[in-house]
Amino acid sequence: MINIKKLTPIPAKRREEMPNSKLGITFKEWKASNPNKNKWRNIRWGVLLFMNFLFWASFAFDIGILEGSLSGSRFFGIYLMDPFNALQEMFIGSSTGFFAMLTTNFFIGFFIILIFYFLLGGRTFCSWLCPYHFLAENTEKLHNYFVKKKKIKEHNYNKGIKYIFWTGFLLLAVLTKVLVFETINPVGIISRAIIYGPGLVLLWVVALLLFEIVYSKRFWCRYVCPIGVSYSVIGKLSPTAIKFDLSKCGHCRDCQDVCLVPHELWFVKRGEATKEIHFAGADCTRCGLCVDVCYGDALKYTIRGFDKIT
Amino acid sequence: MGKSNSEIDRRQFLKNGAFAIAALGAAGVGVNYLKKLNKENAKTLLRPPGAIHEDEFIYACIKCGLCVQICPIEAVKLAGINDGLSYGTPYIDPLMQACDFSCDAMQCVETCPTAALDFIPFKKAGENALTDYQKANPTPGPDYNPFVVQSKAMKSNTKMGLAVINTTTCLAVKGEGFKGVPRESGFKGVYRSPNPKRQERKASPVNDHQFNREICDLCVTECPIGDTAIILEEKPGTDGRKQWQPKVLDACTGCGVCVMICPTTPSSIVIEKLEMV
Repeated sequence: MINIKKLTPIPAKRREEMPNSKLGITFKEWKASNPNKNKWRNIRWGVLLFMNFLFWASFAFDIGILEGSLSGSRFFGIYLMDPFNALQEMFIGSSTGFFAMLTTNFFIGFFIILIFYFLLGGRTFCSWLCPYHFLAENTEKLHNYFVKKKKIKEHNYNKGIKYIFWTGFLLLAVLTKVLVFETINPVGIISRAIIYGPGLVLLWVVALLLFEIVYSKRFWCRYVCPIGVSYSVIGKLSPTAIKFDLSKCGHCRDCQDVCLVPHELWFVKRGEATKEIHFAGADCTRCGLCVDVCYGDALKYTIRGFDKIT
Repeated sequence: MGKSNSEIDRRQFLKNGAFAIAALGAAGVGVNYLKKLNKENAKTLLRPPGAIHEDEFIYACIKCGLCVQICPIEAVKLAGINDGLSYGTPYIDPLMQACDFSCDAMQCVETCPTAALDFIPFKKAGENALTDYQKANPTPGPDYNPFVVQSKAMKSNTKMGLAVINTTTCLAVKGEGFKGVPRESGFKGVYRSPNPKRQERKASPVNDHQFNREICDLCVTECPIGDTAIILEEKPGTDGRKQWQPKVLDACTGCGVCVMICPTTPSSIVIEKLEMV
């Protein structure tokens, strides 16, 4: 769509210049000697499950640490607002005069989330908090299995349509004066099901998951979810990022295989990288799967600006 | 002649984008239809205190459930998928658990981040009550408690609905008394009795209360607002017998304690929403 002036790629390295060549072994042998670790995945799943447990426990045992649900909550009394819900409220509010009624807590919550996710960057919310992501991430493996067995075909769409959905849901909210997205939002539905008890509406989530398994991989998260888009816009220029070091890369592309948003790791392909150092883009969920899988530590978590000091 | 990558990309974007817009349009039409249905549905759904008009409430509520969590007696619940577009929004079923103002300070209203439950009128009512009190009593007595004055004014500012009495089943109208516990065994509802003898600080189960009344007047004596909201009116009957009837007055907040406490099955009082006219 938008034509960014492309830099010319750095010519591909020769085999002798590969990082593992110094050891005198082939890349395959070198890879086998560095077993895959699941450090970041375990930490991330731990955080995700713990936070959702905290939501549940706060209501179930009345401990009041993290009240509310993922569409709006209070952490030790500090309000937090889902950015897309907040945007919808503000847009509808501007057209009806409701805007003036919105509370101070609403804006405090909105700006805290803005700042917090700007610092963490990208779609951090998705892989570190979202319960739907947790389900989809695991059912994705089932999808991959079926594709590998040639039971189903892969269906890909244009990644840009999520912006159409984002604008569309915002427009729909203003036009119909109903939070259209929140009524079909699987994140809110699962979050409420965890906290206030399950209901029939979970069938919608099951249907979405089934669709993702048998038809299009991660359909909701990749092409529709406006919450994710909001977070990716918020965290586009964030200091926390995944840093790619071309000099350490062996171009095995294992990271792209495990990555939840492989298009953000476009630079790992041989001869594609245009700079020595690349940072994963806005859709990166900072999940750390590529950090775990990279044998040569070419991909790492970093805080931009600070990495030069140390 | 092969197409360039960006050309294929552009075509895919247009094709998928058209599909996305169609899907959004369908969602919009569907929601508009549900919205019409919801107008009927929402008449029976009693909103928590301070709820703004239903047309605004439906978009103001982000379905976070903070009001559900803060309620000390669990009166506020989230609507299920049966309630259509109102799915996930809070409501109160007074027959199961009425709002008895146990929290004293309208916590569900204060906690709402989007002003779907609007706290500003309550705040104003509380402040006005304090200034009025200070004007009336320039030297407050030793038992003066500003919090009580404030919370009473805030309570009275609630307008969830209006109690309506079914005069054919009401025990008082029939001239009957009532003895025992008001509700069927196993009923879990709680309320805080306004009876000065009990001086309850916390809500207790409805069925912990034993009543013995010559003429049933539970709705009148147990009303958290008091005799400005509901009174038992004496009426000379047609055949010369004395007849009684509870009469709902303007100060009724529609909290529904009378609905919950009414010993008849079904309850002889219902709360009707005001705003749906």
